Amino acid sequence: MDQIRSLSQLLEYAKKIGAEKGPKKLSVAMAEEAGLLSAIEEARQAGFAEAILVGNADKIKAAADQAGVNLANYEVIDERNEPAMGMTAVSQVSSGKADIYMKGQIHTNNFLRAMLNKEVGLRKGKNTISHCYFHSVEGYDRIFFVSDAAFNMYPDLAAKADITQNTVNLARAFGVAEPKVAVLAAVEVVNPDMPATLDAAALTQMNRRGQIKNCVVDGPFALDNAVSEESAKTKGIVSPVAGKADVFIVPNIDGGNMLAKAIVYFSKNETAGLILGAAAPIVLTSRADSARAKLLSIAAAVTLSDFQK
Amino acid sequence: MTMQKLDFLLEESRKGRPMTLALACPYGDDALAAVTRAGREGVVKAVLVGDAARIRTLAGQDGCDLSGVTIVDEKDDEKAVERSVRMVSSGEADLLMKGLVKTSTLLKAVLDKEWGLRTGSLLSHLFLFEIPAMNRRVIGISDGGMNTYPDLNAKAKIIENAVACYHKIGVPQPRIAALAAVEAVNPDMQATLDAAALAKMNERGQIRGCIVDGPLALDNAVSEESAKIKGISSPVAGEADMLLVPDIESGNFVGKVLLYMTGGKGAGVILGARKPIVLTSRFDSMETKLLSIALGAVVARS
Repeated sequence: MDQIRSLSQLLEYAKKIGAEKGPKKLSVAMAEEAGLLSAIEEARQAGFAEAILVGNADKIKAAADQAGVNLANYEVIDERNEPAMGMTAVSQVSSGKADIYMKGQIHTNNFLRAMLNKEVGLRKGKNTISHCYFHSVEGYDRIFFVSDAAFNMYPDLAAKADITQNTVNLARAFGVAEPKVAVLAAVEVVNPDMPATLDAAALTQMNRRGQIKNCVVDGPFALDNAVSEESAKTKGIVSPVAGKADVFIVPNIDGGNMLAKAIVYFSKNETAGLILGAAAPIVLTSRADSARAKLLSIAAAVTLSDFQK
Repeated sequence: MTMQKLDFLLEESRKGRPMTLALACPYGDDALAAVTRAGREGVVKAVLVGDAARIRTLAGQDGCDLSGVTIVDEKDDEKAVERSVRMVSSGEADLLMKGLVKTSTLLKAVLDKEWGLRTGSLLSHLFLFEIPAMNRRVIGISDGGMNTYPDLNAKAKIIENAVACYHKIGVPQPRIAALAAVEAVNPDMQATLDAAALAKMNERGQIRGCIVDGPLALDNAVSEESAKIKGISSPVAGEADMLLVPDIESGNFVGKVLLYMTGGKGAGVILGARKPIVLTSRFDSMETKLLSIALGAVVARS
């Protein structure tokens, strides 16, 4: 496949999957909000998704009416207890009836508890579950994947290795054959007083020793030498990743969150996100996300699901 | 009302007697070109401290006009730095700028107990960015360059340094957002605890001349709409003049997104010494360098 280089291309690619192989099935926990149903309906009409809607059937009906969505095209499972909605929705995925687990109005705690459940959940061994923001920024010829800016707060080295592998897998699903991974810090030299630089050095070696696969990892990098070849050159950094990074591994939630939000609020960009590292893709959007961001997250989940099958 | 555009710094710096800038070791990184241009445009009066013959050769190569520029001949780097710092501490010059010399050499001189520029406060870096995507709104970030992992006390001092600077550039009551990844206090996230403490210190008058609120996530600090969706009622949310970042990594990321991904420009200065210190990077555009010099001059004046 050709590398997906923007989020508009992602949408086209998801449509192609739908047209050639049929739609992927979402299982939505507490699908009781009009904005969410609109996004799902748009994905259905684009041909790449269908959905099982779990929740209070009366409230789902009301939200569907408000959004102008015809429920005849969906399977609705009536469930009135919130924790049970998560369990019912996730078990549709673990039993193979659906491909993607998606959060609706359900509280995040209930949603995740179901995902982590040992019997019906989607945990893949001890693998760390992580979040990835993907951005297409005007002026750049590729998508930037940023992890983990939302889910793991202060990951240790082992967790960072999992996060890196999760994100690399998503980038590969997007057609980046061998993703270039920049482990970010504030500086590009190893400094014993800055733990982020030590983890970066260790992750680089783990990649060289085959502990993190299918990618080229390098770090520590400051953001400028990861995105700008000129900046890397001036600093005398020789690295296949410098100036060409696809994936950015951030040291912790503070730096990552500010990086992702700076991109969203200060540049011309499109952004969406996905939860990675479970047995199936997980869509967790927030009510504040635009309809377009929700649609893009679904398209990414469809693309990843297709890649993993 | 948030501040718009940085060009006023250039005008402001030209009002009254020009401030004298001592540039230590002006050999490269385009600092020489920026300072001679700032001199020509009346932003500062330039004094170059370093090897005079080398300076003249470089100026010749780069086409820098040295008329009206004072050169203090000092071949040894460390001595040139000491000389520059002494000029500022004695009042002969009004602000200091770093040329091609290690930052650590410069800071060691600045912190010298006898002839340095220390005040007992903490040195911190403030960068003001003009953001094209937000109608050229100006947002400051501190500290993305000097303090690595400041504790609560250090964060309070970083705010105080910035507030004094904002007062000098005409913002009497800057709104300061103490950033974290989330806007709720979380006992497991130190940045949110520090932010809550800073907001309270501001309420109790321990940090004055500004409005501090936090924790805020970057989106609700700069976007009113985002603050509204999250139901945050705060005099700072959506209207922050300055973002206090929790550590050097997050500050660095936000700053570099602004410089590399948005086509924005900025002005940076080191605060907390007796006089401002201008420290530009070789990657800064000429415009950003000039604005940084102008910001230093405006802060030096008052």
